Amino acid sequence: METSPQTAKTVLLRLWEFLCSLKVAIVLASAAALLIMGGSLVMHYNPRIFGGMEQEIMSEWLPGAWSQAPQLVFWVPLSGLCVILFAINTLCCLIDWLGKISTRWRKTGEYLIHTGFILLTIAYLWGNLAGFRSGPHSIFPGTEIKIPHMPEYTLRLESFTPQLNPQGRPLDMVNQVSLRQNGKTVRQAEVRINHPLIHDGLIILPTSFGQALQGFRFHLPEQGMINLAKGSRLTLANGQILRIRQLLPDARRSGRGQVQQVGDRLGNPAMQIVVQKTDNSTWQGWYFLREGLPTELSEAGILLRPIEPIFKTYSLLTINRDPGDKLALVGSLCLSIGVILAFFSFYRKRARGDRPDV
Amino acid sequence: MSKPLLLLLFALYLTATIGYLAHLICRRTLFAKIALGLIFSGVLLQTGLLAQRWWVAGYMPVTNLFATLFFFSWALALIYLYFELRYRIRATGLFVMLLNLVLLGGAVPRDSTISALIPSLDTPLFSLHILFSFTGYAFFAMAFSIGALYLVQTRLQTEMLPDLSTLRRINEEAIFLGFGLFTLCMVAGSLWAHIAWGHWFSWNIKSVWSILVWIFYAGMCHAKFIRRWQGSVYAWLSIVGFGIVLFTYLGIGLLLESNHPLE
Ligand code: HEM
Repeated sequence: METSPQTAKTVLLRLWEFLCSLKVAIVLASAAALLIMGGSLVMHYNPRIFGGMEQEIMSEWLPGAWSQAPQLVFWVPLSGLCVILFAINTLCCLIDWLGKISTRWRKTGEYLIHTGFILLTIAYLWGNLAGFRSGPHSIFPGTEIKIPHMPEYTLRLESFTPQLNPQGRPLDMVNQVSLRQNGKTVRQAEVRINHPLIHDGLIILPTSFGQALQGFRFHLPEQGMINLAKGSRLTLANGQILRIRQLLPDARRSGRGQVQQVGDRLGNPAMQIVVQKTDNSTWQGWYFLREGLPTELSEAGILLRPIEPIFKTYSLLTINRDPGDKLALVGSLCLSIGVILAFFSFYRKRARGDRPDV
Repeated sequence: MSKPLLLLLFALYLTATIGYLAHLICRRTLFAKIALGLIFSGVLLQTGLLAQRWWVAGYMPVTNLFATLFFFSWALALIYLYFELRYRIRATGLFVMLLNLVLLGGAVPRDSTISALIPSLDTPLFSLHILFSFTGYAFFAMAFSIGALYLVQTRLQTEMLPDLSTLRRINEEAIFLGFGLFTLCMVAGSLWAHIAWGHWFSWNIKSVWSILVWIFYAGMCHAKFIRRWQGSVYAWLSIVGFGIVLFTYLGIGLLLESNHPLE
């Protein structure tokens, strides 16, 4: 049986009315809300599965979590689907209104609120499909790191100054940074708490800071105070040359006598030392600072006495990218302006008895 | 904050509540007028105390449970005054002020010392976020009281309370204004989260429930268009909505752990 153009038109009209229906909107919004309500509690009691949800974007977190526990995670894509359908529903509703804008321009506030919600949904999806969250990255002043997923960009930390109050509590973390694209500096900025660097969807902000062992201060009888770090080279009074090949903040000897690093924090520090003697022979060995000077060194008259460790402060920076951030900002502006306008139109509509009946 | 002034404030609101009760029982407008006068004085005192704390702290001091309850109570009293002056709803004050007493009563025994501001909260966006959040909540609390009163009035049908259609109008208005302010709260919060943590929305329990509050009240802005829902259903929804608000505000902080601790 052939469908007449009239029937096809009616079917299309019905479909459009369905897509614009407020009742469908309420069903979808309620379904999303109920799923998220239940889900939020599942989330709270299963931090092992959901812990990463804040550190990663959705498209990275979801597949991993799904493979671990689909029965706990199913509500995330399902509620996401409801929200997307709800946003499509809002869009249809908005388009339907826009068709009648000449008589409805007084409702610009409401239109803007609806537009804002649609833009924010798109911005969220965009950011969670094409963005990333990374870090915190530890960076020492004067060094540079590659921006993850964006090989053309590097970030150089020019200087770092933590600001502490008299009780030693951090007040701020002032980072002078340069962002480079293909070797050319594109942005220089001071990054501190609540003052990130934002460029091309990238957002770079301070998270914390730490201290890494850089070397040790020693006392050497003929030379007084000296600082030794990895790579240091020292010519001693009797012509011997001392070099520091490695410095481990926390080390241990394995069963076979090999020395291994245990951690990054100061624990059982050890230095690998090379001594080049005047007869051109060399001695190489490990000096565990807590165990005392190796006999070879004391016999060679190298009477190092450790005084204190020397630390170097590094900054911990978070680097995220959200390509949808500008769209989200436009969406937020639409929402805010829309709300202010709607405050007025609410009373005007009430005075005129203008309200749709469903 | 000085405890005697706080107790005086509580006494003002308590007497106002008793005044409204007397007005309901004795049917004399004088009691309602006295109650309104007491609420006026209470709001003036509370505004002064709030301003003084702000002055001393150097930032809007709404960062712990005492301060949020105190601010919430102030916003609710102010909003009640707005509706009273606009619609002359008199005995309705009994319900709103009872709720206000619960809020203030929750604040009175708590420690009111102002602590140093955490660096990441030191931005006007945070102040706006808090300001809009609690004024929004206060409108939802108003809608809750009106919703409860609507249900009472469907049974009592008394002349001492506003008629059902006025109650419905006030409820719709409170929900609409609350939704608008809460939207601004969400916008300020997302902008702040973006500059403080590098993402404007994240799946932590407090943010998720704030979105739920927002969706719920957006839904309520539309539910009033559905003819069959316009009476008791709408009143019940206002009560349920406030339950969601309370869970978001207190439940998460007290029952579960979140990144928005209350104390
Ligand atoms: C999260 C999404 C949404 C938000 C935040 C939102 C918000 C609003 C607000 C604040 C109003 C003004 C209410 C009033 O005047 O009291 C409104 C009105 C309205 N909305 Fe929505 N809305 C959303 C989704 C939708 C959807 C999906 C539809 C349609 C299916 C829709 C249809 C309407 C209609 C028909 C009006 C009445 C406008 C008028 O006064 O003629 N909304 N909306």
